[in-house]
Amino acid sequence: MATSLEQYVNMVQTMSTSGNLTQLYDFINKSAEMLAKNASHLDNMFATLDVQQASLGILGILCVKYSHPNIPDLETTLVQTTEFFSKCNGEHVRFATDNYAELCQKFAQALIDRKMYARGIAPLIEAIQKIQLHPAQLTSIHGSLCQLCLLAKNMKPALRFLDIDITEISREGGRLDAKDYLLYYYYGGMIYTALKNYERALYFFEIAVTTPSVAVSHIMMEAYKKFTLVSLILHGKIILLPKYTPQVLQRYIRPLCQPYMSLAAVYSHNSLAELRSTVTEHTDVFNRDNNMGLVKQCMTSLIKKNIQRLTKTFLTLSLADMANRVQLSGPKEAEKYVLHMIEDGEIFATINQKDGMVRFHDNPEKYNSPNMLLEVDKEMQLCIQLDAKLREMDRDIAVNPQFVQKSSGTHEDDLPVTSKRCLSDNMLE
Amino acid sequence: MPLTGFFQAAAMEPMQVDVVEENHNVEEEQNYNVENPTIDLENYASQYIGLARLNRLLFIAEHCNALKIEALRMALNYTMKTSFNTSLYHLIHHKLVQATQGAARAGTNSSSNNLPDVAPVATVDTQWLEVTSKKAALKLEQLDTELKSYKSNSIKESVRRGHDDLGDHYLDCGDLSNALKCYSRARDYCTSPKSVVNMCLNVIKVSVYLQNWSHVQSYVNKAEVTPEPSDNNKDANQSISSRLKCAAGLADLATRKYKSAAKYFLQVNFDYCDFPELLSPSNVAVYGALCALATFDRKELQVNVISSSSFKQFLELEPQLRDIMSKFYDSKYASCLKLLSEIRDNLLLDMYVAPHVNTLYTQIRNRALCQYFSPYLSADMRKMAEAFNTTVAALEDELMQLILDGHIKARIDSHNKILYAKDADQRSTTFEKAILMGKEYQRRTKALILRSAVIKCQIHVKSPPREGLQGGEMSIAPASASSIVRN
Repeated sequence: MATSLEQYVNMVQTMSTSGNLTQLYDFINKSAEMLAKNASHLDNMFATLDVQQASLGILGILCVKYSHPNIPDLETTLVQTTEFFSKCNGEHVRFATDNYAELCQKFAQALIDRKMYARGIAPLIEAIQKIQLHPAQLTSIHGSLCQLCLLAKNMKPALRFLDIDITEISREGGRLDAKDYLLYYYYGGMIYTALKNYERALYFFEIAVTTPSVAVSHIMMEAYKKFTLVSLILHGKIILLPKYTPQVLQRYIRPLCQPYMSLAAVYSHNSLAELRSTVTEHTDVFNRDNNMGLVKQCMTSLIKKNIQRLTKTFLTLSLADMANRVQLSGPKEAEKYVLHMIEDGEIFATINQKDGMVRFHDNPEKYNSPNMLLEVDKEMQLCIQLDAKLREMDRDIAVNPQFVQKSSGTHEDDLPVTSKRCLSDNMLE
Repeated sequence: MPLTGFFQAAAMEPMQVDVVEENHNVEEEQNYNVENPTIDLENYASQYIGLARLNRLLFIAEHCNALKIEALRMALNYTMKTSFNTSLYHLIHHKLVQATQGAARAGTNSSSNNLPDVAPVATVDTQWLEVTSKKAALKLEQLDTELKSYKSNSIKESVRRGHDDLGDHYLDCGDLSNALKCYSRARDYCTSPKSVVNMCLNVIKVSVYLQNWSHVQSYVNKAEVTPEPSDNNKDANQSISSRLKCAAGLADLATRKYKSAAKYFLQVNFDYCDFPELLSPSNVAVYGALCALATFDRKELQVNVISSSSFKQFLELEPQLRDIMSKFYDSKYASCLKLLSEIRDNLLLDMYVAPHVNTLYTQIRNRALCQYFSPYLSADMRKMAEAFNTTVAALEDELMQLILDGHIKARIDSHNKILYAKDADQRSTTFEKAILMGKEYQRRTKALILRSAVIKCQIHVKSPPREGLQGGEMSIAPASASSIVRN
C-alpha cells in the first residue's frame, strides 16, 4: 500500500518539474480511488509535497479528502485548503479546472453545513483570482462566493466581482452548467437588492430569467418573482424583457407566479388601498417565498410614485390635500414622506410649514455645469468602448475561416445566427 | 345575438330581462332608466322599417318606463302587420302583459300616477298566429322547391335569386342565422359585380341586426373593392356607397373607433341617404357629429364638419346638434355642455349610441378643457370652473387627469387656484433623454455580450435526465453533452 502512495508522490514531483501537466492530470484522476483507500495517510503526503511546486498533486489529495462523507479532522483540512488557495500555482491548477472548481464547491458546502460562512469568503476570493484568466471571466466559484456572502450577511466582498461585467465564461472542463450560471446571477441580484442598488439588481435578475431554456428551472422562477418586485420598486411596472427571452418564461413560469402578476396589475392602478388588500390576500405566498420585505418596499414605492405624479401636475399643494390624494393617514405622514423624498433627491420641493403648503420645483439640473458634462462624457466613453467591443467580436466571427467557408458556400441562406455562433465556438475550442 | 337573448329571458324569468341581456352584451351597458325623454315615438318609429324599427322600439321599451307600453304596442302592431315573425310576437306580447300588469299595480298602489291609460291587452291572437305560421311554412316550401328546380337547371342567376328570396323570407320570420346563411350562399352564384355588391349589402344588413361588427366591416371592404358596374346609373352607385359608409361607420362606432366612425359618417351623401332598414338621416347626423366633436381637433372640425356642405344638410335635421357644434367651435363651452346634457336622455334611448354616450361626453368635455386653456399662459381656475359649470375642486381633479395623460401641458397652483402653462426646457429634456438612452444602450449591449458568451458555452436549462426527476425540475446536463447533441 505504502508503495503506491510513494509512487504517487514521486510521479507528482517528477511530472510537475518536467512540466508534463496534462499527463499528470490524467494520472491524478486515475489515482483518486487509490487515495481514497488510504485516507489516513493523506496528511502525511500533504506535508511531503510542496504546495507551490506540486499544486496538482495537492489538489488531488484535497479533493479526495472532501469526498469522504464525514470529513475527518475538518479543521486541518480547512486550514490546508485555505493555504492551498493562497499558495498554489495558478498555471498548474488551470490544467485541472474541473477538480479545482469541485474543490471550491465542496469547501463552500462544508462551511455552509457547519454554518461557518464568513470563513470561506476570503479564501474563495483568492481562489477565484488564481483561476481566472482575466477579471471578466465567470467561474462556478463566483456563485459559491455570493452564496457565502449572503449567508454571512456581508455583501461588500462579492461586489468586486459583481461590479465587473462578465464577457467570458470558463468552461471548467464542461463542469460549469446552467445551474452555476443561474445561481450566480440570482445571488448577485439578491446582493444588489440588499444593498438597494436596484438598477443593477434588476439587470442581474433579467439575465437570470432570459437564460436560454427549454425546461422550467426553480432558480429562474424565483428570479422572476424578484425581478417582478424589483421592477415595480424601480419603474412602477414590469419592464419589457428582450425578444430572446425563452418561451418557457411566458408559458410556464408566469402562470406559476400568479400572486406577483396580480400585484403588478393592481400596482398599475396607483391605488394604495387596492394594493394593500392584494398584499393581505397573498401574504402567505409572499412570506413563504421570503419576499415580504420587497413587497413592503413596493408599497412604499407606490406612495412615492404617487407623490411624484403630483409634482407633475401641481405647483403648490397643501399637505392635507396631498395626504388625501395619495391615501395617507394625514398631513403629518405626508410631510414625512415629502421630507424624505426631498432629502433623497427624488423630488424637488419646499415645505412651507406655516400654512402647510408644499411648493414643487423643476429639476434644478440645467446640464450646463462642468461636473455634469464630465458625467455625460464618461457615459459616452463607456458606450464607445462597448461599441468597440462589439466590433471586435463581429470581426472575430467574420475572419473565422470555418465561418467564411460555410457562409460563402451553398447553404448561405439557411444559416441562422445561432449556428454561426456555434461555428465560431468550435473554432475557438 | 340579442334577440335570442330576449327569447330566453322571456321564457325563464320575465322580470330579469335586463340582467340576462347584460350578460349577453359584452360591452358595458348599465341598467339605466331614462326619465324624461322628448321623443315623439310615432315620428321616431316611422323613420325605420322592418327589424330596425322593432329593435329600436324594444330598446326604448327596455330603458324607458314612461314610453314602455306605447312602444311595445307599436311594436306588436307592426309585427302583426308586416312580418311572419311569430316568435317575436310572442315575446313582445309577453312583455306587454308584464308591463301593463306592473303599471296597473302601480296605479292601485299610488293614486297619483300619470301613466297613460292602462287598457287591458288583447289576448294572444291565436288566429293570426296560426294563419301566419301556415303562410310562412307554405312560402318556405314554395321557395325551397323553386330553388331546387333552379339548381337542377343550373342557371346561376336564378339560383342566386332563389337564395336571396329564401334569405328575405327567413329575415321576415326573424330567423337571422338562417337568413345570413342563405345570403352568404348566394355568393357562389354571383356573376356580375352588381350581384356581388348586392350579396354584400344583404349580408351587412343581417350582420348589423346580429351586431356582428367584424362581419360588417369585412363585407364593407369586400363591397368596396368590387369594381363599379359601368352600365348602371350614377344614382344607384351613390346610394350603395352611402349605405356602405353608414354600415362601416356604425361598425366603427360599436367597436369604439370613434374617429374613423366620424370620418365614415361625414362621407355619407345626404341626397342618397335613404335606407330605413339600417339608419335614418338624423341618426347619421347625431353619430357623425358626436364622434367628430369627441375626436377632431379644431381645424379638422372646421374643414370637415362645419364648412362641409353635405353634412350641413344632415345637421339641419338635428338643430340642437347644429347649435352644439357651432357653440363648441365658438368656444362657448358652458352653453355647449348644457345643450349636450339636454339631449343626453334622448341619446340614451338610441340603441347604437347609448353604450358610448358616457365615453363620448367625457372626450368632448376633455377636448373643450384643452381648447379653453390652449391660448393661455396662466388661467384662473375659478373663472374656468364658471365657464364649465363646475366647482373648482372638481375642475382640479379633471385637470389633474388631463395633465397626467399628457393632454394639457400645465401645472396647477392649488394654493392660488391658478393653472400655469408649463414651459418645457427642450435642452434639458434632450439631455435627460440622451443620458437615459445611453444607459439603456449600455445595459442592452452588456446583456448581449454576456449572451453570446452563454451561447458559446452552450449553457441552457434542459429537462433533467430520467433519474434526476426527484431533485426538482432543475437539472442540467453538462455542456459537453449538449454540444454533442447540437453538433
